[in-house]
Amino acid sequence: MTESDREKLIRQYAAGEITWTALRERGFEDYVQVLAALGELGLRPPIAPMDGPNVAARERGRAIIREALRARR
Amino acid sequence: MKRPFRLIVTDTSPLLTLVLADSLDVLLRPGLAVSIPDAVYIEATRVRGAPGADQIVEWINAHLDMVKIVPTDIGIDQQRRLDEGRSIRGLGEQAAVETLERFLRSDPTAEALLLFEDSDVRRRHAIVDERVSLISTGDFLRELEAAHMIQSSDHILDLAAARGRNIERQRDSSTDTTTRERLRRQLRGNNDDLKQR
Repeated sequence: MTESDREKLIRQYAAGEITWTALRERGFEDYVQVLAALGELGLRPPIAPMDGPNVAARERGRAIIREALRARR
Repeated sequence: MKRPFRLIVTDTSPLLTLVLADSLDVLLRPGLAVSIPDAVYIEATRVRGAPGADQIVEWINAHLDMVKIVPTDIGIDQQRRLDEGRSIRGLGEQAAVETLERFLRSDPTAEALLLFEDSDVRRRHAIVDERVSLISTGDFLRELEAAHMIQSSDHILDLAAARGRNIERQRDSSTDTTTRERLRRQLRGNNDDLKQR
């Protein structure tokens, strides 16, 4: 994989266009390499928007964390 | 009676992101028991001196009351593959599925929350079991931020990327040093050969 291919993939990843699994399939060996490449480009790991097939399960997940945090205050 | 509940880490990426940002402790803020499947743990820590590996081991040992490494059949397979020099890609997630199934089977009232990396959580097949919920690293951090338990999720993610970049640069420079040393030795050898002729 050339440096420019790598950079392109990382930019796509940061923009939420491809997944970490896809990066792994294309030659990134571990997530530290991904973080490093993001850091080199001044980018950060993406935060997923609330869409896709698992929105309900994710909303439940956030509610669980919210409730657990509230209970500990 | 309280229902059994576990936060299951499905991949190395949440652990590596948080450890590089010196923020592993945020995983314990909600006070939920954390399960790390053996294959995920091994993948994150198997290379001694790898970024974050030692800190993850130390952190788990410091919180054995809250964090548990779960043995799985997939973990045994992973060990075999490592011994044979084969790929272990994707085994962490399979081990997480095994961990989840075992946990749900152990008690019909058991509930679990699966922690995923953000880009992967959007593309998963739909989870239909009502006892299973999902959370991504980003969602998790946002909830902590909303509860004023961390200053900013972006700050943690930026810190992880910056630390990753520094580690990679150090790795590159040490590789350069090794290469330079090898070249130096080779040149020295050639000079000795020339002198002997």
